[in-house]
Amino acid sequence: MAAKDSPLKQFEIDPISNIELGGYNISFTNSSLAMLITVLVITLFLTLTVNTRSIIPSRMQLISELMYNFIAQLLSDTVGDNGKRYFPFVFSLFMFVLIGNMVGMVPYQFTFTSHIIVTFALAAVVFIGVTILGFINHGIKFFTFFYIPGVPFYMHPLLIPIEVISYLSRPISLSVRLFANMLAGHTLLKVFAGFVVSMPFFTGVFPLAFIVALTGLEILIAFLQAYVFAILTCLYINDAYHLH
Amino acid sequence: MPQLNPEFFVSQLFWLAVFFTFLLVFLWRVSLPRIATVLEKRQNKIDENLSSAKELQEQAMEIEKKINDQINKAKLETDEKIKETINALQQDVSSHLSSLDKDLEKKVSDAEKEILKSKDNQMKNINNEIANITKLTVGKITDIELSDNEINKVIESHKGTFN
Repeated sequence: MAAKDSPLKQFEIDPISNIELGGYNISFTNSSLAMLITVLVITLFLTLTVNTRSIIPSRMQLISELMYNFIAQLLSDTVGDNGKRYFPFVFSLFMFVLIGNMVGMVPYQFTFTSHIIVTFALAAVVFIGVTILGFINHGIKFFTFFYIPGVPFYMHPLLIPIEVISYLSRPISLSVRLFANMLAGHTLLKVFAGFVVSMPFFTGVFPLAFIVALTGLEILIAFLQAYVFAILTCLYINDAYHLH
Repeated sequence: MPQLNPEFFVSQLFWLAVFFTFLLVFLWRVSLPRIATVLEKRQNKIDENLSSAKELQEQAMEIEKKINDQINKAKLETDEKIKETINALQQDVSSHLSSLDKDLEKKVSDAEKEILKSKDNQMKNINNEIANITKLTVGKITDIELSDNEINKVIESHKGTFN
């Protein structure tokens, strides 16, 4: 589909080993490899750095603790005490997206968060989970979530559909935000990398300098998008507890 | 766009489910409890140290209070002692003074007596001398022999005049 030197070529999936299960193609691909690396990095880092369990932490242990406290603080700020039981999920989600983005920043590495199907799956888990949680907590009353109190009655026919649509578009906005950011950033890097090669003489230095700056920005975005993904998840969980 | 190619959707979802589930379970069961234990341990240690610091502070305050009490007590005692000493000294001084006064008075009165006595003696001597002189003078000038009694009578009668 994409031309040989297209900036989108980096998003193509190449199977490493072909596997088929029940008629479905579940080949282990470069995307799966990036996920495996991500999971390995997270689990090994969080396990090995805290291995000594020392009261006065080493620098590496401190990083793990900072991440732990960062998400714990985020969750308790947005959801409160109810949020504690969702901590492992939100933490895993944050780390998976963050390290996935960071692994993608390594040259020649695949960025699985730049695939809409992956981000949509993650967002769908959040959306379905939160909706189920809302029904568990409030039962049928959960539908009053779409009813905004303190608004003139004639506005409701307009507002309730808007609320429903905005609720249903949550997984789409959540997944597209991450996917589009990653897609745009990596495409831009690739386009400028093309300039470095194609521009005559030393002028290739300019796009190269731009790439350096852009890489810093992309690392920032990688963190920021993981943070946004985590905080929106927290807010949705909070909505499932407190309807208004 | 390769993202919209459904060829590997199932594969992506399958491996995502596998790896994310593994990550979630592993972090939930292994990594996070470890970090939580460390943080809890540290918090306990900090609380312990804080409480022991508080205890020590209380003890220090108690000791300080004791010291202050003792200083106050010592001050009161010294004040008392100083007062007592001053009183004793004053009494001593006044008794000394009064005894000195007595001595002085006695000495003065003794001296007065002495003076009076010597005055009397001197007066007697003077009278005798006068009598002798008179007797001699009268004897030389005239031939009248005056008796001592007569002379003394005259002297007695003029006593006030040549004193």
